[in-house]
Amino acid sequence: MTARKADKKPTWRLTRRKFLKGSAAAAALIAASSATRRVAWSEENTLSYLCWPGHGAPEVVEPFEQANNVKIIPKEYVGGEAMMALINQSDPGTYDVVLSDREYIVMMRDAGLIDEMDPNDYAFDDFWPEFQKMPGHWLNGKLYSVVLDFGYLGVVHNTDVISEKEASSYKVLWDPKLTGKVGQFDWYLPSMGNLSQYNGNKSPFDIDDAAFAKLRDTVFSLKPQVAGYHGIPDIFNALKNGDALAYQGIGDWITILLSAEGYPVTTTIPDEGGIQWTESLSLSTDGKKQDLAKKFIQYLTAPEGQVRVALKSSYWGSIPNKKGWTLMNDIKPNEATILRHRFDQRNVMDEYADGKITLRQLPEQQSIDDWSEVWNEYKNL
Amino acid sequence: MSADRLIAYALRGWFLVALFFIFVPIIINFIYSFSPSRFPTLPLGGFSTGWYELILNEAPVPRAFGNSLKAGVIVAVISTFIGFAAAYTDYRYRFLGKNFYLALALLPPTIPVLILGLVMLMFLSRVSLVGELYSVVLAHVVYCIPFAMALIRLRLAQMNPDLESAAWNLGANSWRAMREVIVPFTLPSIFAALALTMAVSFDEYLIAFFVGGLTETLPVRVLALLQGQVSPRINAIGSVVFTISMSLVILAQILLLTRRSGGRSIAAGGK
Amino acid sequence: MADKALTQPTAGTAARNVDGYALFWGLPLALWQLVFFVAPLVFLVVMTFWTVKNFRLTPDFDTVNWVNMFSKGYVIDTYFRTLWYGALGAVVCSVLAFPASYALAFKASPVVQRIGLFMLITPFFTSYLVRIYSWQAVVSDNGVLNNLLGVFGLGPFNILGTLLGTMVGYITLTLPLVILLQFFSLSGVDRNYIEAAQNLGCGRLRTVFLVIIPLAKTGIILAGTFAFILCFGDLVSPTSLGSSKPPTLSILIVDTVKQGNNWPRAAVVALMMVLTLIVVAFTAIFFAYRVKKEKT
Repeated sequence: MTARKADKKPTWRLTRRKFLKGSAAAAALIAASSATRRVAWSEENTLSYLCWPGHGAPEVVEPFEQANNVKIIPKEYVGGEAMMALINQSDPGTYDVVLSDREYIVMMRDAGLIDEMDPNDYAFDDFWPEFQKMPGHWLNGKLYSVVLDFGYLGVVHNTDVISEKEASSYKVLWDPKLTGKVGQFDWYLPSMGNLSQYNGNKSPFDIDDAAFAKLRDTVFSLKPQVAGYHGIPDIFNALKNGDALAYQGIGDWITILLSAEGYPVTTTIPDEGGIQWTESLSLSTDGKKQDLAKKFIQYLTAPEGQVRVALKSSYWGSIPNKKGWTLMNDIKPNEATILRHRFDQRNVMDEYADGKITLRQLPEQQSIDDWSEVWNEYKNL
Repeated sequence: MSADRLIAYALRGWFLVALFFIFVPIIINFIYSFSPSRFPTLPLGGFSTGWYELILNEAPVPRAFGNSLKAGVIVAVISTFIGFAAAYTDYRYRFLGKNFYLALALLPPTIPVLILGLVMLMFLSRVSLVGELYSVVLAHVVYCIPFAMALIRLRLAQMNPDLESAAWNLGANSWRAMREVIVPFTLPSIFAALALTMAVSFDEYLIAFFVGGLTETLPVRVLALLQGQVSPRINAIGSVVFTISMSLVILAQILLLTRRSGGRSIAAGGK
Repeated sequence: MADKALTQPTAGTAARNVDGYALFWGLPLALWQLVFFVAPLVFLVVMTFWTVKNFRLTPDFDTVNWVNMFSKGYVIDTYFRTLWYGALGAVVCSVLAFPASYALAFKASPVVQRIGLFMLITPFFTSYLVRIYSWQAVVSDNGVLNNLLGVFGLGPFNILGTLLGTMVGYITLTLPLVILLQFFSLSGVDRNYIEAAQNLGCGRLRTVFLVIIPLAKTGIILAGTFAFILCFGDLVSPTSLGSSKPPTLSILIVDTVKQGNNWPRAAVVALMMVLTLIVVAFTAIFFAYRVKKEKT
């Protein structure tokens, strides 16, 4: 353990002791406060959780906290790159459980940030078959992450202005009535992914350089339509107040909350296809509380945890556990209908079966840099 | 004459417009915090105190509030002490490299907090001092010292330099002169510095976000809530903090005023 | 008179002449800022030569980040745009603030002054983040302002996602501070000069521009400089009210860190900003405190 930690730390990192010797003045103060802090930390029974916003909210984690007499300390991020940046900038073992988007699992494995998991610990038999051996979670036959929830990304639009029929192609984004009214979720990956689908790329992230050059032109040609580049709160405000009437690259996770409050917005998956996002749970390599962390993942992927994750207040998500579906239909039938988690009518798994949905992934033939560079230029046009 | 009066009214009116502009977002914030719906628009569809109940019952918010309070108090004490020491050094001594010394004292606020936070995180994480409440304190002190120093230095500038030497001539050593002349004279500015640095630390979220790691202060919690859980919780927190700090400021004002009225005769005599 | 005390050196080399009292007051600042301010800044410079592979920072000595950032047209564009935004914010804010500070300094009774100052300080106690977020509701296309203007048959005006939106945020950030600083220097202006000018037949505007403003120069310049510094480095307004359309340097930094954890490239941008601000700050101080040559 120690050896692994040592060689993972860059050689530049000084030890705490060495550094303190150097700065005599601050030494007494820092040493004193860090000592007391460490005691307080170990006494307090906590589990740290790196996650998208809202996953650590009380309505999700409270039953687990009470049952295990533990406090979940969430650290929230927006966007997978932000997650990688955070985890790489923190001391090893800062986070016990890491929730990440599927595409970053392999990067975290390669960086030695997450541990292999035992499939027998988790209730995969209860999952829809599509999620039992999900690509990206199993690497070389070994399990590194358990899928927690998912959703689809396509065209989000104001139904007063754009009908679902119009939104059945990404072409609608260039419609003159949307000039200056197309919002852009400020994350290149899903936003460019959908546009790549519009260009007819069946696997939108695995495209050759010619197709990538064309994608660049497509992206740039959208600029006159753009209202702005938005973070999550800006998206809610823009859809609410009419600053943006359509987006690509986002989906139900935004519109369900707004339409529940009576705003005329919905998500349509265009004929060119939509993208699937997934959030998955991994065990941090240097986490000090592996057993508790495992228990937490078991809780979140069991029926009760699943329903709570699905209906959390930050954004709703679809869940992979069939027993979770059953429970939701029993205790929250209305919500099950909104989320299209009913067994007796067309539901989210049917869309999956239709083949319209592609998994979101990192660029295959170009680097992250190439893609984000296009996005940066786009913002600066 | 009447033109003068007209201009005076126009100027005062402009001041009120400026104040109004400053208060628009604060008023909106108060209104939204009572919204029954999660995505409020004006006028509100009703009235609810639900968001206040929520934030009080959600563990992370009171915890973050506690962290902010702790950090704020410690930052205020340390940075006011260092600021006082630096102001006094500047006031009393001339030495080689004094310009550099003053630059050290006054430069931090010219660096955007975003960069300061970034740099602090990069540096503190190299020396394993990151991710705790003391990391926030370390970084905030750097940022707050200049405010404390500026306030206290301004007060020292108003002091008659003969006062301190008079105390020495009466046989007081430096320490005693400090205790009996300098400190009492600068006391109002010391209190002001304590209040200001605490306020600055309490409201600063970018540095705290970067270096705090899992330890969240209140504004960092607001940032997290804003980024993810878009809801009037943010407005409720904003209103609570505003109300509390306002009450404290008003209380301090009243205390100051009652004390000042005692000493008014001297001040009036000066005029 | 105080000179005998003033000449004591604190930075004495040998222990021979070291004054414990002086060191006690002089050292804390030097130590704290050297360790927690200068060292990080030096580290910032060092880091611009590091490299990143697969989200991991590697100590290195490579000029690739500098070459990379300066070869991108949009980085240079963003730099000058941010300078322009900061300057515009500072000028607009100073101009808008001046009549208000003037009113407070010369057209208000002491009680009103105290209340006015108090009102100017209060906004600092509501998170800037929250205030900007509240502005979104006002300046949106169907927001409060446009609804209000709609009653009079005006608008709707598109403010969110424009330079005007960003300016609303900048002014929210800087206006109270600029009024305060301008007020302090205006109230320091000796009224005898003003009366003298008026007695000599100097008109109102001429008095303001030829007497009052030159006398309050220091405070006015410093206030404008502070406004520039705050606007230049602000992240929230250009993001939430300007909708990153187009981005500023602060947004560029955040994007660079987000996309691929590229701290070294972000450090290059940060360094550009720090150097710019230091130059601006020192230039401003030079002009603010420059002794007037012509005396009347």
